[in-house]
Amino acid sequence: MLKVQGIDVFYGEFQALDNVTLKLDKGQTVIVVGPNGAGKSTLLRTISGLQKPRRGSIEFEGQRIDRMEAHKVVESGVSSVPEGGRVFPNLSVQDNLKVGSYNKAAREKAEEWLPRIFELFPILATRKKQRAGSLSGGERQMLAIGRSLMSQPKLIMLDEPSLGLAPMVVNMVFEFILKMKQEGYTILLVEQNANKALKVADYAYLIESGKLVYEGRSEDFDKNPYIKTAYLGI
Amino acid sequence: MFEQIIMAFLNGILLGGVLALLAFGLNLIFGVVKIIHLAYGQFVMLGFYFIYFFHTSWHIPLIPAMAMGVVAMGLIGILTQLLIINPLLNAPRLNQLLALASLIIVMENLAQVIWGADYRGIPITMPIIQFGDIFIRSSFLAAFIGAIFTLGLLYLFLNRTYLGLGIRAVAQDLDMAKGVGINPKVIYYVTLAAGGALTGLVAAFFVPIYTVHPHFGASFTLMAFVIVVFGGMGNLLGGFISAFIIGIVTSVTAVLSSPEVADILAMAMFIGMMMIRPQGLLGTES
Repeated sequence: MLKVQGIDVFYGEFQALDNVTLKLDKGQTVIVVGPNGAGKSTLLRTISGLQKPRRGSIEFEGQRIDRMEAHKVVESGVSSVPEGGRVFPNLSVQDNLKVGSYNKAAREKAEEWLPRIFELFPILATRKKQRAGSLSGGERQMLAIGRSLMSQPKLIMLDEPSLGLAPMVVNMVFEFILKMKQEGYTILLVEQNANKALKVADYAYLIESGKLVYEGRSEDFDKNPYIKTAYLGI
Repeated sequence: MFEQIIMAFLNGILLGGVLALLAFGLNLIFGVVKIIHLAYGQFVMLGFYFIYFFHTSWHIPLIPAMAMGVVAMGLIGILTQLLIINPLLNAPRLNQLLALASLIIVMENLAQVIWGADYRGIPITMPIIQFGDIFIRSSFLAAFIGAIFTLGLLYLFLNRTYLGLGIRAVAQDLDMAKGVGINPKVIYYVTLAAGGALTGLVAAFFVPIYTVHPHFGASFTLMAFVIVVFGGMGNLLGGFISAFIIGIVTSVTAVLSSPEVADILAMAMFIGMMMIRPQGLLGTES
């Protein structure tokens, strides 16, 4: 479904990604693990079309998306949940969800989907008129996920969805990711919380300083002694 | 004297409504495109000339001529985005400012070449309304009602439509707006078209009140800029409130002493605000 082929990404002179190749099949949940600043967020930004690769290609459902503008990438079915549950703080909760359905195909389904999102996250329904900036971290994360679902995505990319959340809320977020997986969404998850992420994932990649250093099925991942000590703390 | 102050106060409110509409466009453009449209008042001047031209040269009745002026200014807004702002979107702030400042010179001289330096106007007599000892010019009242009505429509547009939602999203977080599927280029064009059309509308409201000349716009650029910065740049509610504050203060002071003192007081208030709250009345620090 998604094929990232040898991409190099630069911020000015600084190289953030170096020859990264990655693949996702339909219905798969894939995680990308790695330390801070390894280029995980850059990878998601590049797939989203917010950053252009200097070399390499990105294909989604057989279509090149690496030269597309970001809004076109969303239209083709790739949606992202940015780090820290980034929402539009001065828009109401309801408007934040509505803005998720901005692309043409999603607009027609917005009426039908808004109640479904409120059903999934009842807390958002009770706050729908509130400014999104007044929500707690966990609520923002739910709002960002809800907004992403409103765009009728085929692939959902989540950037560190557990970052800065209380352990109980983290569990909720992962339960929800599992639920999305069971509903058939293809998911690309970037996480520092490798222990939890590995439990929901089918396949895993490890990135260090912009380079892919390991990949494998998630059940094999924790057998690697290096990963065990460096990332899983066991 | 008391009646005079009451009248000045009412006139200040009426003036404030039109100023609020004027400032709204400048504010919206700054909030969304992050560009200071320095030639905004000159757009009003050009809109005035368009209406004058359509009415006197093409003999189009006044109201349709005004509507055509609004449309023409919307198109000028789109052209401004296409020819001036788009190429400079990622340029340093100073270059953007200089480009729009030169637009002032281009427009003022263009007006002078085409229409000459004479004062031009469309003679319309509108009645004066009397409540007891209070007199109000109906041209001011019409402009005020029109401005408030337009602001109401703009509020609905921004809050009830997808396009309006897209505009608010781009204003808040450009990167994320792209990420949720909004094409910012389209939003910029819509914003400049709306801002342009607003200057045409303000010009239409001014037709029964003023006469136009090539330098007619300068004071309105300054006025709109002061209001927008006073209220907090990019904050639409702040701009709305400060338009009324500036309108009432200048109008009442003009009666109590003189229009010159009123201008001094308005600018002094502006400077005072910049010293106490540089982000403006409702602006957020950043």
